[in-house]
Amino acid sequence: MIAGLKHKVAAALACMTAAGFAVADADLDRAMKNPGNWASQAGDEYNQRYSSLDQINAGNVGNLQVAWTFSTGVLRGHEGSPLVIGDMMYIHSPFPNNVYAVDLNTQQIVWKHTPKQDSAVIAQMCCDTVNRGLAYGDGKVFLQRADSVLEALDAKTGKVVWQATNGDPKLGAVNTNAPHIFGDKVITGISGGEWGVRGYISAYNIKDGKMAWRGYSVGPDAEMLMDPAKSMTWADGKMQPVGKDSSLKTWKGDQWKIGGGTTWGWYSYDRAENLLYYGTGNPSTWNPTQRPGDNKWSMSIWARDLDTGMVKWVYQMTPHDEWDFDGINEMILADIDVKGKKRKALVHFDRNGFGYTLDRISGELLVAEKYDPVVNWATHVDMKTGRPQVVAQYSTEHNGEDVNSKGICPAALGTKDQQPAAFHPKTGLFYVPTNHVCMDYEPFEVEYTAGQPYVGATLAMYPAPNSHGGMGNFIAWDAGAGKIVWSKPEQFSVWSGALTTAGDVIFYGTLEGYLKAVNLKDGKELWKFKTPSGIIGNVFTYLHKGKQYVGVYSGIGGWAGIGMAAGLENDSDGLGAVGGYRDLQKYTNLGGSLTVFALP
Amino acid sequence: MKRALILSLSTFVAGVALPTAAVSGDDKPLYTVQDGVNVDENTYNGFKTWRAAACDRCHGPNQEGMVGPSLIESLKVLTREEFDKVLTDGRMAKGMPAWNTNQKVMDNLDDLYAYLKGRSDGAITKAKVRKIK
Repeated sequence: MIAGLKHKVAAALACMTAAGFAVADADLDRAMKNPGNWASQAGDEYNQRYSSLDQINAGNVGNLQVAWTFSTGVLRGHEGSPLVIGDMMYIHSPFPNNVYAVDLNTQQIVWKHTPKQDSAVIAQMCCDTVNRGLAYGDGKVFLQRADSVLEALDAKTGKVVWQATNGDPKLGAVNTNAPHIFGDKVITGISGGEWGVRGYISAYNIKDGKMAWRGYSVGPDAEMLMDPAKSMTWADGKMQPVGKDSSLKTWKGDQWKIGGGTTWGWYSYDRAENLLYYGTGNPSTWNPTQRPGDNKWSMSIWARDLDTGMVKWVYQMTPHDEWDFDGINEMILADIDVKGKKRKALVHFDRNGFGYTLDRISGELLVAEKYDPVVNWATHVDMKTGRPQVVAQYSTEHNGEDVNSKGICPAALGTKDQQPAAFHPKTGLFYVPTNHVCMDYEPFEVEYTAGQPYVGATLAMYPAPNSHGGMGNFIAWDAGAGKIVWSKPEQFSVWSGALTTAGDVIFYGTLEGYLKAVNLKDGKELWKFKTPSGIIGNVFTYLHKGKQYVGVYSGIGGWAGIGMAAGLENDSDGLGAVGGYRDLQKYTNLGGSLTVFALP
Repeated sequence: MKRALILSLSTFVAGVALPTAAVSGDDKPLYTVQDGVNVDENTYNGFKTWRAAACDRCHGPNQEGMVGPSLIESLKVLTREEFDKVLTDGRMAKGMPAWNTNQKVMDNLDDLYAYLKGRSDGAITKAKVRKIK
């Protein structure tokens, strides 16, 4: 009944505000204002992953117990989290991307949606058949299927309201990202950097699924929605127009057509500025010798106008990638002190091992520092040019094709991959799940064939040498100063999205399958529970009948899970550390379930 | 015919000194290996095919298996005919692509088989091989 009323109100509001201008979706807005809901993947538009709920706090979290569990019926990697709006929870699964609406009062499945997708898609997905979750708005639940079809489902019935085809899976253009609802748009990206897909971000109208705009990551200015005179970038210590053909002139010939720069991360939105933020991935191929130039605008942070898609500013973190350091990780918006000055900041923890702080309005580069001390491929980022200063020994281009460049930190999966960090407004700090992994990287020549893998490098990955022996850390980061505040070692990569709460507790999951609660102040472990499988999902919280719950998917997989045992020929290679990854098999197994906790 | 010869291979390989040669159906060695890592031209070409098709992304850099099965184990079980069929038609539901649209893989099935069989037999001791000079 309440849902029905919500629908009517939402429809009425939509009619009133159906101008071409980005207006907030009233339904989602209302849902997000209620802290008892978990209405979007990050809980808000800023990607902060912070909840103001405080019933579960540092004093009582030790008493947390399992309240209920749910099997998704699917194996393989479970990323993202469910959504909660009112009495309904929306649960998703990896391929075939089933969706369940569960009534929290009865824990009954109200409806389920089981898309029929061609299983050929499975082989086109580079790093497991993950899906990072659903979006909600306008009385609909949005699913970005693996085969690139974007679906709007009626939140009450699960019936398909509209569908949009976002890419051609036969060419490797598939999807793993969650769709995001900002204003009256559904924003979605594309995967397939390892298939030579030319990346883009797309905005669809929430009402009917018509494409509003699409901006490519590489190529001609018009197709990137780049204004040579007005789109800005950081150069020579200040913001300057990108100029004509800013992408084309950084590629050899027409290589940009298969140039990568895919967009499968977590996006954010500044309502006051009407700006959408996201990152682009690696240039294709992984063999840098084959694609001379800076390969703009792969590996970049972008700010686009939500209504038109026009680029306000763009900043390339890793020009001419030689390590597969995709720039797609989440963009977190927060108003923080940066070097003594209050800033509307964008904070980003890149795969390349640098934590970036930018002015999110102007695009100015403010801070770029290593958030893991073992990062060695670059000495530092030159703050005037914004360019990393690459160390020749770790340059896979300098060392050349068919040469194994050894001891590069971080590994290709980055000091952090997509697993999103969280922000806490009380401390002004960021809480970051990280990898502590290094690699050997040997590029080789490859030919492009449409719809076939286009990789061109062989990798071996292992725990960071001469460190604590583990493959992860959970850290607190001061983005204003560019410093680690505390760091908690973990045996395996922390591949789970963190959650901060007003109860001064931080939650995150581990690959062994533990959900952990740690103290906001010092990272001290307060509680842990072993879930059925390894955790690569994101922790979320909600209120039901006045009681706070915390939940997380477990289901090992993703690049972390499938790559665990990979890399070295035997345990004595590579400083004897590869055994660490193999150890994961002692702790966990495939599975797909949701575990929800509450205080007794 | 081919199958019978290959099945008898392991005993054969175990008994000979380096270089190791394994015999295929037409009396030509399936692969020749020196010092575990130096291989004949065809087998080297099989390695290059393995690498170009990025098989390691699922089967692991050393064929040990990741999200896809260990080929060290699979090649002990699969017949040559089955190998060709899996490569050509795929195992879609399990994520194995049909490689029939990839000319490079289709043209080099014999070499790919030789390389992977050599790895499975233990005759080729490292995933990365070189051409015999």
